[in-house]
Amino acid sequence: MTSKDLVLESAADRTIRFERDALAFTDQLYAAALRYTKNPEDARDLVQDTYLKAFTSFHQFEEGTNLRAWLYRVLTTTFINTYRKDQRRPQIAQAELEDWQVAEAQSHTSDLGKSAEVEALENLPDSDIKKALQEIPEEFRMVVYLADVEGFSYKEIAEIVGIPAGTVMSRLSRGRKQLREKLAAYAKELGYSVETSKKAAAKAALEKGDQL
Amino acid sequence: MSYIEIQCGDVLSSVIFIIEGELEQLPQRSAIEEHINACLPCTAEIAHERAMHDLLQETLRRTCNERAPEDLHEALHRQLRAQMAGATEVVTQFSMTEISIEIDEFGNIEHREIQIEQTHIQHFIDQDNDETR
Repeated sequence: MTSKDLVLESAADRTIRFERDALAFTDQLYAAALRYTKNPEDARDLVQDTYLKAFTSFHQFEEGTNLRAWLYRVLTTTFINTYRKDQRRPQIAQAELEDWQVAEAQSHTSDLGKSAEVEALENLPDSDIKKALQEIPEEFRMVVYLADVEGFSYKEIAEIVGIPAGTVMSRLSRGRKQLREKLAAYAKELGYSVETSKKAAAKAALEKGDQL
Repeated sequence: MSYIEIQCGDVLSSVIFIIEGELEQLPQRSAIEEHINACLPCTAEIAHERAMHDLLQETLRRTCNERAPEDLHEALHRQLRAQMAGATEVVTQFSMTEISIEIDEFGNIEHREIQIEQTHIQHFIDQDNDETR
């Protein structure tokens, strides 16, 4: 017994499917493009280029697989190939990546340091958060954005960016660390840490009093 | 008891794996877990790292939520319509032969047939279409 299915998708049908499914991610891709390119004009061009390329190869996209991840891969690849003008810019050295764990080895943070960090994050204006994100290196910014804003798993990020999963982990670790350091520095400028120190000192004194 | 001696520094340098729930990737997983269970400063540090991770994520998501300008949405629809005009027609043909297996009383497989075919046919209506800007 043989059954035959003939699936015919006209260009018009495919366009409608693309319009319905893929263009739904325009806002999200634009926000990501802003992080990648750091300016609205380039972000706009990047999103347009991404959709041009995506539509051209849309018939290769397997329905039922992750369209969002696929679009992010097109976006990221397009950015890396087109908008990263300065190709000679040195990439992060492999050796540097391999010994990241050693570099990350650290001592415990004091309670004071911890509460200052929390307070900084809670009080910083949105503009400072964006500024800090812009200032960390592109390789780190991408993976932090994809993981922490878009919620992709590190395995998905490996596919999207085209790097090994282990590299995603190290970039994620370093990127978050650098971001937090920048935010802590901004907060210090704004004086949050001073306030925190006072509060923490007062709290510590109270607790000491309780124990006596 | 673990025979691998794990120091606080080893735990702290593996924080990313703990936060991402990927500790099983590390060969020293059980030694790290044992150390954490016995070490209050490390337990506190990991709790802090988790809290900071959640807070950072929340902050980033709140901040990075720009919407695309309306004219970009419109431009994308226009671009798509223009692309469609010169798009390739794609015909996908599936052909599937049903699997038939006969098993005799001794459990021997008598016959098996599997045949799946997939054909992509593309008609290029406009050859100049790809990646025009």
